[in-house]
Amino acid sequence: MSKQAARKLRSVMQFAGFGLPAVFIWVTVIIIPFIYGIWITFTDWNGLALDINYVGLDNYVAVFSDATFITSFLKTVIYAVFTVIASNVAGFLLALAVTNGIKAQGLFRAGFFTPNIIGGIILGYIWNFIFSYALTGFGKAAGIEWMSTSWLTHPARALIALIIVSSWQMSGYLMVIYIAGLTNVPGELTEAAKVDGATGWQVIRKIKIPCIRNTIAICVFLSIARTFMSFDMNLSLTAGGPYKSTELIAYKIYQTAFTSMEFGKGQAQAMVLFVIVAVISLLQVYFTRKGAEN
Amino acid sequence: MKKRLVSLLLVGVMTAGMLVGCGGSGDGEESGNGKEAEEGSGEVSISFYTTETGKDDYFQDLITDFESKNEGITVEYIAAGDDQLQAWMALYSSNEGPTVSLMDPINIYENQERMLNLTDQPLLDNVKKDSLSTLTFDGKVYGIPMSAAGIGILYNKAVCDKAVGGDFDPSTIKSRADLKDLLEKIEAAGAAGSCITGVNWSIGAHYLCQVYGAAIGDVEERVAYVNSIISGDAKEIDNDVFNGYMDTLELLAEHNLNKADPLVGDVNVDAAAFAEGKCGTWFMGDWAWTYLAELVEEGAEFGLLPIPYSDNEDDTVNQCIPTSYAKGYCIDISQNTEEQQQAGLKFIEYMSSDEYALEQTAIVTGQALPFENFTFEDKLSPLGQSTANYMSKGLAYDFYGTPNLCPSDIWYECGAYMCEYLSGACDRETLASKIDGYWSTQEAR
Repeated sequence: MSKQAARKLRSVMQFAGFGLPAVFIWVTVIIIPFIYGIWITFTDWNGLALDINYVGLDNYVAVFSDATFITSFLKTVIYAVFTVIASNVAGFLLALAVTNGIKAQGLFRAGFFTPNIIGGIILGYIWNFIFSYALTGFGKAAGIEWMSTSWLTHPARALIALIIVSSWQMSGYLMVIYIAGLTNVPGELTEAAKVDGATGWQVIRKIKIPCIRNTIAICVFLSIARTFMSFDMNLSLTAGGPYKSTELIAYKIYQTAFTSMEFGKGQAQAMVLFVIVAVISLLQVYFTRKGAEN
Repeated sequence: MKKRLVSLLLVGVMTAGMLVGCGGSGDGEESGNGKEAEEGSGEVSISFYTTETGKDDYFQDLITDFESKNEGITVEYIAAGDDQLQAWMALYSSNEGPTVSLMDPINIYENQERMLNLTDQPLLDNVKKDSLSTLTFDGKVYGIPMSAAGIGILYNKAVCDKAVGGDFDPSTIKSRADLKDLLEKIEAAGAAGSCITGVNWSIGAHYLCQVYGAAIGDVEERVAYVNSIISGDAKEIDNDVFNGYMDTLELLAEHNLNKADPLVGDVNVDAAAFAEGKCGTWFMGDWAWTYLAELVEEGAEFGLLPIPYSDNEDDTVNQCIPTSYAKGYCIDISQNTEEQQQAGLKFIEYMSSDEYALEQTAIVTGQALPFENFTFEDKLSPLGQSTANYMSKGLAYDFYGTPNLCPSDIWYECGAYMCEYLSGACDRETLASKIDGYWSTQEAR
């Protein structure tokens, strides 16, 4: 065996040793279920039946002709827009606050991040109680009419409640990423700006924000992807109610598959969601790279 | 070199471990999902999946008793979480379909090809025949009911006594006018006339499905009516039964304790209000004793009233309650061995005929049990006794009558429309047309 062939063999063996386990896991956990999922979209399987019939593209046709799916999608867009803005603004402001050298900033960081490590289901139930009983109790005692009834029994207010709680939960997570970005802003730049007489707001707008453009892109796209896939909070806070007015797309997919037992249609809806999230993720990669090049 | 050798060795071990771990036995279905019987030893292991939540201690106690009385059989207990179907489907997907499952009849019906035909099994001799209609498909029995659940308007006797100024007799409520009179008297006495828990499963399944009940006619007529809605030949809004029940719902809503915020729906909060006498009646079912038992005072009396859909006192449906055989035991044949199926039969036989099991079921569920050897009527809850009383007088009808009269997702889909209607966000015509729209996507029964 020539030296070159031996080197090649060693390289293949090294890949087999180090790369194969990861590839094996990736294929079995991601790729095979993904292909299996695509296959299900062409069937009328209910998730349990022994007989599976092929229905061609019927499930996709059903998805796009289903007015309730389109409605869920539009509600998800509204939810995503407001949640992304609110959570990013809050996350950025929190990051600014805890990178300014205030006392016990580590404690504050941990405190603001805590909602993110409590599961969405638990948070949903806690806030469900707050909106349904704590706030209404206060509203009744104080004689404030709009606070006397639960936020979760009114379509618009229930969606606002969902946005508030999701933003509150996600802002801590985004704060951590913003902190990483802000601590990388060169100190001499901000110092120089201050020496030149720049106000605090000017330092943020002209120095810090341009310097963390990449971080902002990551946070925005990350939050968009997360809001489109939001499920646990939707389940425990509003359960799609009142009367399906807060049924977001992921929750709708779950109901189609597991309550209506239309696995094929539910999987087709999931494929649509996959395409949306994939496009968002690719845009994130594109803009992040572009930002890095600039 | 040594380091590289060690790391390569570790990676090799990991890979081998993974391959061994992921490798199947290759005889998936034959093995009976890993709960295989030890050949020749007489030992058999089965699993029991229940969708009856919040009763873990009761089931585990009965399983222990069953195992002590059936040497060689061990039962693995699996309880459903919030979503009963998802976990069931996951078990089947992983080739671990439970030997015995306690499911809704519609779920058994939709998966009957996986279930054991119980028609010729001796254990059926102990089951009351009129309780099997929702578990019988094409003349074959696929499940054994757990209990009979009465649906209706619960009344707090102390509050009603005060309202009528004497001893309240539930049999005096024979029409909607009688109910209206009672609700007004309760309100005059200082309590809310009624309470509706504004949740989809209550008003979407239990209330709405009465529209397809005995008021329409016998089972054949009910199926024919549903089919006519599915085909579009009939419209809900033109049906007197639909309008009658919606008129009664409006009456209840008018006197609703939760009138200011009708969808706030919390069954525990409403149970507390009902037990404390803040409202005189509550639309629910006899299972509500689960919530009430801890709250009611010693000696307090509660019972069940029918839901009248018209003002006709001569219509016996106005004096009847629907009873639902909402859960049934079934046995899987698709992923369980013959031996496991036999053990599963023994388990179901135990649950439906063993004295200790029946006594415990009566105490824990509080509901009437449709078994010939059941003698523990005194152990039933006051609400369960009320249901049993209606049944013994022939004033009860089978809620669905067939396993597939109403689809499994009606509580969610139409429950949303009913909640919208209850909150006043849509009128009756809109509600009726939405329900028609829902049925139009269903297949004929």
